[in-house]
Amino acid sequence: MIRNDKKQTMVVECEQLTKVFRKLLAGRSKDVCALQSISLSVAKGQIVGLIGPNGAGKSTLLNLMAGLIFPTEGRVSVCGHPARSIEARSGLGYMPEHPAFLGRYSAWDTLRYHGALLGLSGQDITAQINKLTEQLQMDEYIDRPCADFSQGMKQRLALAIALMSNPRFLLLDEPSNGLDPIGIIQLRDLLKKLRDAGTAIVISSHRLGELEKLTKDYIFLYRGEVVSFGDKISAGQIGRLRVELVSNGNQIAKKLLPPSKLLSSSETELVIAVGDDNEVPDIVSSLVKGGARITGVLLQKEDTEDIEDVFLRLYNERN
Amino acid sequence: MRAYELMKETYCRRGYIWIVHIVWLVLYGSFWWLFLPSGEEFGRFIFIWGGFFLPLALSAGIFGDDIASGRICVLVTKPFWLGELYIYRLLGLSLQGAVNFILAGCIVFVLHFLMRKGSTEDLGLWLLASWLLFNTCAALSTSLSIVVGRAYNSLLLFAVVVTGYFVVSLLMVSMRQQGGTGVLAGFIKYCWPPFELLYKFASGEYGKYSLTVGRFSVTKSVACIVHSLILMVVYSIVGIALLSRRQFSRQRD
Repeated sequence: MIRNDKKQTMVVECEQLTKVFRKLLAGRSKDVCALQSISLSVAKGQIVGLIGPNGAGKSTLLNLMAGLIFPTEGRVSVCGHPARSIEARSGLGYMPEHPAFLGRYSAWDTLRYHGALLGLSGQDITAQINKLTEQLQMDEYIDRPCADFSQGMKQRLALAIALMSNPRFLLLDEPSNGLDPIGIIQLRDLLKKLRDAGTAIVISSHRLGELEKLTKDYIFLYRGEVVSFGDKISAGQIGRLRVELVSNGNQIAKKLLPPSKLLSSSETELVIAVGDDNEVPDIVSSLVKGGARITGVLLQKEDTEDIEDVFLRLYNERN
Repeated sequence: MRAYELMKETYCRRGYIWIVHIVWLVLYGSFWWLFLPSGEEFGRFIFIWGGFFLPLALSAGIFGDDIASGRICVLVTKPFWLGELYIYRLLGLSLQGAVNFILAGCIVFVLHFLMRKGSTEDLGLWLLASWLLFNTCAALSTSLSIVVGRAYNSLLLFAVVVTGYFVVSLLMVSMRQQGGTGVLAGFIKYCWPPFELLYKFASGEYGKYSLTVGRFSVTKSVACIVHSLILMVVYSIVGIALLSRRQFSRQRD
């Protein structure tokens, strides 16, 4: 589910995107409509999971955002500029599903090459490579030729390339492919740090469990269209926490709770969306520390659905 | 930095490129050693072998490999004018060609000095003509590489050039009187890689080069050089336009 709060800084905006693939010298009947009238936006500091069955149009949408292909109709803007313009590309980090490198180059050579393409100075390139090597734990094979890399090593290198420019917008296509459990945890932590630093991230993945640990915002694509989650609470949120207060509810809510969490507020009651049982003590303690005088707390669990359940529900509804 | 890395990449992108250089240099030396040709005979050999076949070998898949592997998808998301990607790669090829021809000249001069046989007359002019032909063929092949995947650009260029000359020759023989043949021949002469013009330039049809006597026809020779450079630029502009407008993925997932 995508926020449409225009007050937030939108990093990516897609308006009425349609993409039709036409075969050369083939009739219109052979056209393939990969995406149909899709509008969405991704805010600064937001992670969005792009999910859907095979052939739903996920990679097409990523490619449009990256400027690799052009829309048949509609427009995509990245950081306020049309996709594929130099300005849009200057804020973009892209990691493809199947990364490929020059086999003779080592990971270091590859990163230096991409740093040079970004226009960084030699000193900046070295500093950036050292930082990313440490973050992604690539020290062991940084000097080895890419031809000898395992899938996991390739994924880390591809991610390092995407992060070379300190992007404001990161597009990741199946980033955890081939990563070992440690790598997956490191990737998750890194993405959370980037999100906290304000990077907008779109991840296309079939690993729903992994996505769920990163975000509660999803786009479900089915046959080129965005499918609404309906009126149920967002995937990944277990329910509502009702907090009864003596007074000053509105003021405390404004001061302590992010707008995305607060479902409603009055002087004597706050309704807060919670994604995890463990969140409740943290929320209550932060409210108390913030000066709230709480008289009662009630957790109302909804019919909980994890993202896998949502995926299956939406998929089955359409089949 | 960017220019250096992109030019270096043209040498490092495939393992066989240094082998191509060595094979070509060995063949130059062997040809001279075995046949002790005159300057013009050796010039003709280097003109075809180095000017036409070397760029085909070095530019095979220069963009096609990236497109086939998907590497291009990351390259085109970097914030710089995509023309640079084309220009620096072409310059990288051109530099490799220049080094190859300089080494070829050195090998022949050394052999000539050691054996005291054969002739190196006009070799410099042939090497220059070969390098100019190399550049136009490399530009055409690089532009084709943006359209066709993998290494088919070289095969396509080879087939198109050979077929073009074969068809024109056939038409010239069978329909000598008809004006259409002349137009086609003119097209091949001025829009194709300039084999004929550069051959005439190097073989002395515009006057033999001599600093002292000054029989060299500057106007025709300069026009010939400029023409080949213009062709290289035109092929490059077409390539850059294709690169800027091309879509780089057809995945539907």
